[in-house]
Parts: sequence; structure tokens; C-alpha cells
Amino acid sequence: MVLRSIKFALVLAWYFLATTAYAQEEAATARQVVEKFQAELIGVMKNGKQLGYSGRYEKLKDPVSNSHDLTKIARIVVGKEWEKLTEDQQQKLVEVFSRLSIASYAHNFKDYSGESFVFDSEEETARGGVVVHSHLVVPGEKDVKFDYMLKEKGPSWRIINIIANGVSDLALKRSEYTAILQREGFDALIAKINEKIDNYSKQ
Amino acid sequence: MLMNNPTNGYRYGKIKQILSGMLIGATVTLSGCASTGGVEQQVEANPVDPYEGFNRKMYAFNDGVDDYVAKPISDAYKFVTPQFVQTGVFNFFNNLKNINIVLNDVLQAKFQQSAQDSGRFMINTTVGLAGLFDVAKEVGLEQNEEDFEQTLAVWGVPQGSYLVLPFLGPSTARGIPGAIFDTAANPVTYVGAPVQLVSMLNSRANAEGALKFIDEAALDPYVFTRESFLQWRKSLAADGKVDASDDLLDIDEEAALEEGGNAASGQAAVAEKGAAGDTANPEGFTLKLSADNKEFEQVSNSFSSTAQSFDATAKSFEEASTKLDKLKAKK
Repeated sequence: MVLRSIKFALVLAWYFLATTAYAQEEAATARQVVEKFQAELIGVMKNGKQLGYSGRYEKLKDPVSNSHDLTKIARIVVGKEWEKLTEDQQQKLVEVFSRLSIASYAHNFKDYSGESFVFDSEEETARGGVVVHSHLVVPGEKDVKFDYMLKEKGPSWRIINIIANGVSDLALKRSEYTAILQREGFDALIAKINEKIDNYSKQ
Repeated sequence: MLMNNPTNGYRYGKIKQILSGMLIGATVTLSGCASTGGVEQQVEANPVDPYEGFNRKMYAFNDGVDDYVAKPISDAYKFVTPQFVQTGVFNFFNNLKNINIVLNDVLQAKFQQSAQDSGRFMINTTVGLAGLFDVAKEVGLEQNEEDFEQTLAVWGVPQGSYLVLPFLGPSTARGIPGAIFDTAANPVTYVGAPVQLVSMLNSRANAEGALKFIDEAALDPYVFTRESFLQWRKSLAADGKVDASDDLLDIDEEAALEEGGNAASGQAAVAEKGAAGDTANPEGFTLKLSADNKEFEQVSNSFSSTAQSFDATAKSFEEASTKLDKLKAKK
């Protein structure tokens, strides 16, 4: 009888442990997503010189794709024009845009001189998003404010927008991309993005 | 030295310098894209940029001036001048700007900040040898960024249209009186031309990094400059407070379109044109309404916060006078 209840307690304990562990694994909070990504970024910066551009690109590929919702960003960035694109064009855009995002990280975070990210606060927006306020400390320079906007995607949170010192990346890209689509069309947009990726890889 | 942030960046910290860099006609060093003026049939006019055609021409002109005049001179300056001299020159002119910053702190009723900025100016002018060394920064007094255009914004003057001025670069209708006031409040204005020239050289040389970033990151440098300029100015006027819901509204609008599927997108377009009696897209409609509400809220918020700060000031004056009374009574 005693043995039985011990057994039962053990099973219960195991079950409890298993579910909490499972829950922890699944539900990374918005803050955790941002901080994990920032840590990975700083890690790459520290080895930036040895890695070289292509090394940094490879190292950042997964961290960027796993923390950002690149598909959603790509479609928001072209605004209403998205509906006018064919399915092939939509796929092409997402693919090229993802490469551009990783490439610009690899190009701009190339070395390390004591920078660190500091978490400031977290706030929920009215529409079920979360904004994570943080700043980058650069020794000898003014801090750079980084505000991340995240939305839930399935079980986890993904970055939708980054606002650096008050300038929204999403809004900036959106006006650029829609202007180019309207003035010059889809092929010109893709060509320009590819040209940027090329330039990033050369320097 | 790093820190151009990835997708956007640190450059915004430096974009202030772009602005001043543009005093000698500095704009982006990327040519080509800016001058495509031919295909404009189905382009929707941007409400903040009604004079886009003119602005693009001015932008291309400034770009040319920068390529052929400003950049070569600035490069030569950087080549012949040692780094510590460049830093000293930057600090000197930057320190003089504090006079204008303090004035605008007061005009915006930011009294504590004005005391801090006056302190900065005093320390750097004395211990920092007439401003050549930024001692205040070392002791943790960061420079605030204020100017008259922001003061006008705080007072509730609307921004007006985006304008690209010849030689001067990006501005807005509100930015023009702002710039006139700022120029008048800067001592550099009243000394000889050689000093002004050095000041301009210094600005252009310091904008180099930011200009390079635009060159690298912008698909359409004109739009990139316009958007980052306007957002940067907006953020400064709001003292860096991010309006979290602003962009997410946009995102949700997109999401609503998506959920509605392709069939609904036609209706969405109709709703957007403001066709009445269309109940097919209540979602889009409420979104619009809430967007309007948001704006009202913001406006009333900014009014109430201004009123509050005036209240606080009045209170502190009252307290001061009661203290004075007490002192008198003691005597």
C-alpha cells in the first residue's frame, strides 16, 4: 500500500516535471526571444573578424530566421502591393528579403568593441503584441535605443519590427519598397535587393 | 568602431550630423537612382510629400553638389587634419550649440533639463578649454538634442510638408522658421566667414559615416532619406518615446486583409476609398475608427502633458515664494 502510494507520487512528480519542462521549452516569452537573439548577435560580433563576412552570415542565418517572422515582415513591407504579386513572386520576395536581412546583420555587426545590450522594460500593446524596450551600450558613444515589436506566431514570439533611436525599420522599408514597386515594378525591386546583398558581401 | 545597426541603425544617432552636413549641400553619395524621374504615372502621392517631383530634383542637385564640391573638400580636410584636431573642432562647435539648446529647453518648459544643459556649457567652456574638450560627457552629462523646430512641435504647430531645400537638404514647412531661429541663436553666425567654413567642413566630415550607411542600405536613397529624416525628427520631438501601437495598427490592417482572403481584398479597397453603406468589411472600418481615436488621444495627451508641466512649474514657483516668505519672516 505504502509502496503503491510512493509509486503513484513518483509518477505524479514525473508527470509534473515533464509538463513544466515541456511548457518552458515551448513558451519562450517575447523578452527571452529578444535576449537570446541579442546574445547570439554579440557572440558573432566577438568572433566577427575571424569569421569574416561569410562566416558571420552562416552563424547568423538560424538566429535571425528563428527570432524574426521574415515572411510576415516581407509582406508587410510591400503593403497592398502584396495582393498584386503572383504566388511565385511572393515566394521570391520572401526568399530574397530573408537573405537581405541576414546579410545586413552580417555586414553591420562585424566586430566587437565592448558593446552590450541592456533590457529596459516590456509592454503589451492593445492588439496582442509585445514591445521589448532595450538599448545598446557602446563604450564612448551615446546609447542606441532598440525597441522590438513582437507578435505571437504559433507557440512562440517573433520579432516583427525593430525601432532604433525612434526610426522604425518596418516603416522605412515599407515606404521604400512600395515606392519602387509602384515606380519601377517587381523585377527592379528584386534586382535592387540583390545588388545590396552583393555589396554587403564584398565589404 | 562599429555600430551601424543591422537593418536600421546607429546612423540615426548620427543623422543629426547628416542634417548639418547638408548645410554644404551634402546628401547621399549614391547617384543614379535619385534622378529617375520618368515613370510616375501610377504613383500614389504621399500625403507628407506633395512636392515629390520638385524634391527629387533638389535631392539630385544636392547630391551632385556633394559629389563634386562638398565631399572632395571634406575628404581633403580629413586627410590633412589629425584626428584629435577634428575631435576638438567638433567639440568646440558642438559646445556653442548648447546656448541654443538651453533656450529651447526653457521654451519647452523643461527647466531641469535646461539647468543640466547650462551646467554642461559652463563646464566645457571653462574646464574644457572653451569647449575643445567635452569634459561634461566624461562626468556623465549627456547632451540633449533640442532645437526650435522641436519647440514648435511641442507647442502644437503641425509639421507641414516635407521639403528638400537647395544646399540645405531635408526639411519641413515647420523646419524653416525653426532653422532661422536656430541660426540666429548660434554664435557662429556672427563671426567671420572662415569660422563658418570650418564649422561646415566639420559637419560634413562628421556626416561621412551616416552618408555611407545610407549609400549601403538604401534601395531608394531619396525615400530612405525622407523617411528616416521625418521619423527621426518625430522621435526627437517626442523625446524618444516610442508610440508602441503606431506600427502594430499597420500590421493588423495587413493581417485583416490577409484573413479576408483574396475575395475580400476587393471590398477592402472599396472600403478604403470611403464608399458608404458597405458593411462587408466592418473590420477595416473599425480599424480606421480606432486609428482616428488614437490620433485624438495623442493630441489630447500632448496637451495635457504640456499643461501638467506648466502646473508643476507654477507649483515650484509657489513653493519658492513661500520659502522666501519664511526666510523673510525669520529675519
